[in-house]
Amino acid sequence: MNQEEFVWRKQVTIASSVSTAAELIGSVIEQLKKHDWGEKKVFAIHLALEEAMMNAIKHGNQGDESKSIATQFELTASRFCARITDEGSGFKISEVPDPTKEENLELPSGRGLAMIQNYIDEFHYSEQSNSLMMVIHRDKQEQRRGQ
Amino acid sequence: MAYDCIELEDVQDISVVRFKDEKVMDPSRIEKLGEELMSLAGEEDSCNLLINFEDVRFFSSAAINKLIVLEKRMRAGGGAMKLSNLRPEVRDLFSFTNLDGLFDIRDEQSEAIRSFTNSAED
Repeated sequence: MNQEEFVWRKQVTIASSVSTAAELIGSVIEQLKKHDWGEKKVFAIHLALEEAMMNAIKHGNQGDESKSIATQFELTASRFCARITDEGSGFKISEVPDPTKEENLELPSGRGLAMIQNYIDEFHYSEQSNSLMMVIHRDKQEQRRGQ
Repeated sequence: MAYDCIELEDVQDISVVRFKDEKVMDPSRIEKLGEELMSLAGEEDSCNLLINFEDVRFFSSAAINKLIVLEKRMRAGGGAMKLSNLRPEVRDLFSFTNLDGLFDIRDEQSEAIRSFTNSAED
């Protein structure tokens, strides 16, 4: 994360609840719009954050609202970065079924992760896999929009 | 039956469903949505189901999973289910996960209605 270029940043630990997460995501989206990020990129970030938060609440923290989610957001002129950390014991990404494969199409798992991966440019899980860092580059979107 | 998450309209012999929420992301709403959709699959006179996405701006993976279960149940019961009026960004959610092969997705409701009728005449 390049600290020289921040136009906005936020670090907050929230209760592991849907309404609190929705409120936080709303404030992030507001900042993206305030800094003139395009509609498609805002949609991508919004969806990825929703899916990541739901994964943290439902799978990481097992729906326990007494647990918390640590979040960190950083916005520069050219990219958005988010880190979301739950209190779970993590999981093995290699064991999550690929929902795009024919044999897995009707399985209920893995689709949220696939959505996140589809919409963001960089995707890193911590070693324990309970902390997800996502990066979206604004320039890439502008390039794609021009295609 | 009164529905909390969907609106239901009969067009010819087809049950047309619309979502009340433009953002279908909240897990508790999705659970409720799932229950309401499954109840449609259980009705004998609702063997043709069209889900119109016109007002939907966001649709989560959990909500897609509900549709997959519904489609499976409809198919098992000899019914048919189609989707229509998806915004491009919502349709993309189905495309990149290869679900546009599992679901019959039409651009417009009228086209979907016609395709039900044509299938019945075949």
